[in-house]
Amino acid sequence: MRESMPLLLVEALDPSDREATHRHIESCAACAEEWAACRDTWKLMGELPVVEVPARVRQQFLSQVLRAPAEGNVVPLHRRREMRWFAQAAAVVLLVGGSYYAGHRASPVVLAPTDAKIVSASPSFSIAETRVLPAADVSPTIEGRPNIDNVQFVDADPRDGQIGLSFDITSHVTVTGSPAEKSMVRLLSYVLASEDRMKPSRSRAIDWVRDTYSAPNNADPEIADAMAKILRNEQHAGVRIRAVETLKTLPSKGDNPRDALIEALRSDPNPAVRIKAVDALAKLAGSGAQLDGTAVDTLRQKAAQDDENLYVRVKAAEALSKIRPQ
Amino acid sequence: MKQVALLLFVAAIATTPAAMAANFSMTERFSFEYPLDADGSVWVDNPFGNIEIIGSDAASVSVNVVKITSGVDKAAIIEGRTLTQLGTRGDHRVRELRTAVPDVPARTMRWQSFVTYSIRAPRTAHIKVSSTYSDRIHIADITSDVTVKNVAGEIVLNNIRGRVVVDSVNGNITFNPAGRPMSSSQLVTVNGRILISVAPDAAFQWVADTIQGDFKATLPVLHPQFNGRTFRGSVNSGGPTITTSSLMGDVFVLRTGTTLSQARSVRVTPPQEASQASMAPVAEPLLARHFQAPVVEGNWQFATNIGNIGVGEVRGDARVMTGAGQVQLSLVTGECNVTSRGGELELGDIYGPLTARTDAGSITVSSARSGGTVITGGGTIRVMSAGGPMTLRSGGGDIVVRQAHGPVSAETRSGDVTVSLASASRTETVEAHTGRGNVVLNVTPRFGADIDATIITSDPDANSIESDLNGLNIRRESVGRRTRIHATGKVNGGGQRVSLYAEEGDIRINAPVPVVVSPQP
Repeated sequence: MRESMPLLLVEALDPSDREATHRHIESCAACAEEWAACRDTWKLMGELPVVEVPARVRQQFLSQVLRAPAEGNVVPLHRRREMRWFAQAAAVVLLVGGSYYAGHRASPVVLAPTDAKIVSASPSFSIAETRVLPAADVSPTIEGRPNIDNVQFVDADPRDGQIGLSFDITSHVTVTGSPAEKSMVRLLSYVLASEDRMKPSRSRAIDWVRDTYSAPNNADPEIADAMAKILRNEQHAGVRIRAVETLKTLPSKGDNPRDALIEALRSDPNPAVRIKAVDALAKLAGSGAQLDGTAVDTLRQKAAQDDENLYVRVKAAEALSKIRPQ
Repeated sequence: MKQVALLLFVAAIATTPAAMAANFSMTERFSFEYPLDADGSVWVDNPFGNIEIIGSDAASVSVNVVKITSGVDKAAIIEGRTLTQLGTRGDHRVRELRTAVPDVPARTMRWQSFVTYSIRAPRTAHIKVSSTYSDRIHIADITSDVTVKNVAGEIVLNNIRGRVVVDSVNGNITFNPAGRPMSSSQLVTVNGRILISVAPDAAFQWVADTIQGDFKATLPVLHPQFNGRTFRGSVNSGGPTITTSSLMGDVFVLRTGTTLSQARSVRVTPPQEASQASMAPVAEPLLARHFQAPVVEGNWQFATNIGNIGVGEVRGDARVMTGAGQVQLSLVTGECNVTSRGGELELGDIYGPLTARTDAGSITVSSARSGGTVITGGGTIRVMSAGGPMTLRSGGGDIVVRQAHGPVSAETRSGDVTVSLASASRTETVEAHTGRGNVVLNVTPRFGADIDATIITSDPDANSIESDLNGLNIRRESVGRRTRIHATGKVNGGGQRVSLYAEEGDIRINAPVPVVVSPQP
């Protein structure tokens, strides 16, 4: 079990071995102690600064190495356990000592002051990472009990009679409006592209977008582009499947979503994603949309690919049968 | 039929603008002649328009070009005429003839151009043709090799003695290799039909491949063998190899003087009837067949290479296999075994044990009364109601089980797993495992179990184990760059083992207290 600990540290165990090792560690006091020591050492080593070897020492070491005569015979070396422990202990002492020495020699880190970026005031409300507001523009009424963290008091110029209070605020915002409004489209595109912490899951968010934007009067290429981005970048196969299903139903499709479907058909490792992609492309071709030479070639290649899923091949052939002269 | 429709469409595309705007079309004619060595090459690249190349004894290439430009108005015609460029380059070794047209949308919205090439080339020259859409590409009387690639339009090759390579998407291919084939050839089309017409004493090896079509001949084919979807046989004593591949269309080899209607399938095994009581394994190959019926009495078996299957009610056991296609069975009163190499499965009320597998595609089951096994290589699995033990596996995709009355084992490589146990369930064995995604278990507040839940995450602030049931002991520890969150404990006094595992996701155990709504007095 102890042999597995270094592999566990570097995440080199496969999931089943990893879980078995964890479970053993939880139930075995000796291994738990060993594991804690390993982990602490590993952590300590990770925190140590990299100490540059002085040029003179490096040169001396290299010259000694290069001068070492070549041995005529190979002598087998036997492992000596006590020597190994001694060497490891010496290495730790050297690293800790070196880091202490380096830490005291190093000059203090100075961060150059950066100016706060002022985001231009929008007509009503803008969602921004950071903004600076004049106190006069902030309502004196604080609604509810918003969570305020990371408070800093700023007085850049004590002579100007102005002070600053900077903080992170967590407030729940509900934006309402027509699905076709640009601000709503942009907000949804951003949320779809960047959320990793959305509750409930991203799959449900995509379902919601599909239900909302499948209507022709709500069609917007930006939403289709956001779906294409998910299809390209998402690692979660279930989410990619939803993204393709949504792209299939969205009425507004440009080059980017079409290219994303082609890429998915060509190289997505999940066969269900490829099936959905070829279904979507068949529908696209049937609706009279133009497929360029790359798309036609990919479909042709998929139709002829012996080791491809049969359904994908048949659907690729079906999509090709629907293409029209450009 | 599709091909005919497509040809008509292409023809319509070519002729409609001229017909609609008789005053808005322009025809130009050009003639060129270039010297070419007897063993030189002629390359033609003409995206839109017909091509005819006939072999001759002259030591030159003579080219006649007809360029028809039509448009919505005079300006459009001028634009189309200007942008449709004829070009030629090369020398006495290689002569390249090329039509350059701009991309859509300008071309289709305002104007169309269609260029027809009629070429006389030395009969010993190498011929290479590339086209996108045409009515017809016709090449005849060539003794050297011929290569043709197109998307749509018929390809007719007559009296060709050299090697022939044809690669088409939607075009039919007709090949008449001048009596006895002298060279190996390869004819490939995705949706078209292939027809080879040979002399009665022609001898060659025939290798054919199709998914949905059939192989038919009016010549005796010796030693026919099938290997999967590939057919091999000898015509007369064998000789050069002719490879024919039409994914969706039929392939014909006809003796000169016979017709398509006289051709017979070379398949050894006749197609089986759609419905039969026997449960014996089905021999390949089978033709593509679709099957649809409201009711099937008794035990039923159906197998096909390609086909969508839809049955309202099977009064007995059902065993269905399809190489590619969707399967819909609304009701099966006995055991149900459905296998697809690819395609979605939609199963309704299944009384007996269920086994449903697809290599790729989503699977939906309304009710698996006796439980069963549901496996997809990739896709979403949804089981609305399970009356017995369920085993669910997905190569990637969400798994959703609602109203489980028995043990559930669900595993997906990537996707969310949601298992809802029936309200009457006080304890049940549940295994839910996802390689990437969330696990949600919905139970009643009185649900008792020995719970073991694990999350492996690189973002411990985002992912967590949350439970409405008290009694879980949660531990966190860092492992390399990731964090392992492990929760164990007995809830409501313990019970069956519930094992939940998620990587890069949350685990949530919901046990909502039912809300009783009383009518207002």
